[in-house]
Amino acid sequence: MRMLALLRKELADERQNLALFVPTIIVGFVAVLLPVLVAIIIPYVAGERLSDSSDFEVAVEMYRNQPATRTLDPEAAIQAYLFQFFAVMLVLIPVTSSMSLAAYSVVGEKQARSLEPLLVTPITTFELLGAKVLGAFVPSMVLTVGYFAIYMLTAAVLARPGVAWALLAPRTVGTVFVLGPLAALAALQMAVCVSSRVNDARTAQQIGVFVILPVAGLLIGQLAGAIQLTVFLITWITLGLLVVNAILMRVGIALFDRETILTRWK
Amino acid sequence: MGTQALTAQHLTRHFADRVAVDDVSFELEAGQIFALLGPNGAGKTTTLRMLAGLIAPTSGSVRIGGEAMTPQAAPKLRERLGFLTESPGLWDNLTVRDNLMVYAQLYGMHDADKAVSEALTLFEIADRSNDRTARLSKGLKQRVALARAIVHRPRIVLLDEPTAGLDPESARDVRELIVAMRSEGRAVLLCTHNLDEVERVADRVAVLRSRLVAIGTPGELRRQLFTSRLRIRVSQDAESFAAQLRSSGVSDVRADSPWLSVSEGTFTTPHIVRMLVEAGADIEAVERDEPSLEDVYLKLLQADGATR
Repeated sequence: MRMLALLRKELADERQNLALFVPTIIVGFVAVLLPVLVAIIIPYVAGERLSDSSDFEVAVEMYRNQPATRTLDPEAAIQAYLFQFFAVMLVLIPVTSSMSLAAYSVVGEKQARSLEPLLVTPITTFELLGAKVLGAFVPSMVLTVGYFAIYMLTAAVLARPGVAWALLAPRTVGTVFVLGPLAALAALQMAVCVSSRVNDARTAQQIGVFVILPVAGLLIGQLAGAIQLTVFLITWITLGLLVVNAILMRVGIALFDRETILTRWK
Repeated sequence: MGTQALTAQHLTRHFADRVAVDDVSFELEAGQIFALLGPNGAGKTTTLRMLAGLIAPTSGSVRIGGEAMTPQAAPKLRERLGFLTESPGLWDNLTVRDNLMVYAQLYGMHDADKAVSEALTLFEIADRSNDRTARLSKGLKQRVALARAIVHRPRIVLLDEPTAGLDPESARDVRELIVAMRSEGRAVLLCTHNLDEVERVADRVAVLRSRLVAIGTPGELRRQLFTSRLRIRVSQDAESFAAQLRSSGVSDVRADSPWLSVSEGTFTTPHIVRMLVEAGADIEAVERDEPSLEDVYLKLLQADGATR
């Protein structure tokens, strides 16, 4: 009940501060634009087909072996490969969104000096942090689902037939809806931890680089052919993120000590 | 009066090697305004936070309605407390009503809507209930913060510098609201260094400088430190009557025409007046020369400084 009351406040506060969502909207736009640019617009403008290039032979081979995409023609298979490849960018949507919201949420309370009155209420640290985390997590996931729908719609409208369906493979869905939320949770918990030690939301947001860098590494690794984001790899990353989240939760609660907050936060 | 709402016993708090609060004990009764006075850094806010269970004392204890404030009991006991922090700390993006509503829900009130409406009415801010608090003046923000402090109908209210930074009119309004809280039978602990405010509203006063320097009603503190004096205005030269009073045995007589000032020791006021009338004085005014609370406060701190 108390967590819900504070969560409602968090969401109402965010609705009044839509500027917080600008970085996420930009990241989402780029995530949708990149595959369209690489898989559709550039070949169209250049008057060439992707399947004419030997660079994508691996993609064609890979898709020929999968039951869901076996029927795709070579051009569609390459487009599906590129859309799946850039789907990793969608992970950045909940990460940037939750970081920006969580950092504002905690540092904002410090700046408004609204935390002490809140701590006087019977709310527990778990309830308070829970509301803060959910307050950042819920809108982040709404944005992620929204952008995934736009991503699918774009593929359905602009790419060759069958590409959009190919995106519903466990690999893409797992990347966006398992890795994304877990990476977002890790990022926002980091932001909460750092927020309890700094007075500037931007400083708290910068810690997100520790999450963004591995995601960018995944993207570059795939591009260089060093990594294939398979279901097996996604499962291992998921397990790693679960451990990281559990540790961060403990650290967050330990750092969010009421006495420390009241006596040292200035 | 007389019901103990809150008891602090030997409260001590250290921060590393600094002693912020040292062996402080007092009681707060229902229907009473108790003022905690002290210079900056005297430990007032730390004391309030210990009373509210926000920080733990290094030693000593706090009891709310007889129940000990322990980390386990704190969340439950805090439901009986209202706490106005030094800064209003409102959520600027939310409306006045929403600010109060969240707090009413955090305190688990079943009739949150009704409680919020009551608080808005009591603090005369119902007409601003749909305004975002960012748009309010400092005085109005303080009203909202006060309304928030009592929205869950606590019997004990802790107020940290409630009129700090307010213009005289807003400060007077806030004082009236504090007096209204006492009228409703709440125990009010007022933490301030505004002596005028204390003079106007407090029933009991404690002077704090890490440790308790003095405690009592304003009258008791005055009597402890200053002898009661009478000021008498005469239409003639005051010096001649001063000499007559001295010869009659009245002690510590001072003359500063047209005023005579005498110590109320062995002679009562009517007796002194009669002596002057018999001596031919035309008395224009008689008043008790009471030292201000500021005089009392400064003398207490001076005496305390000398003993450290």
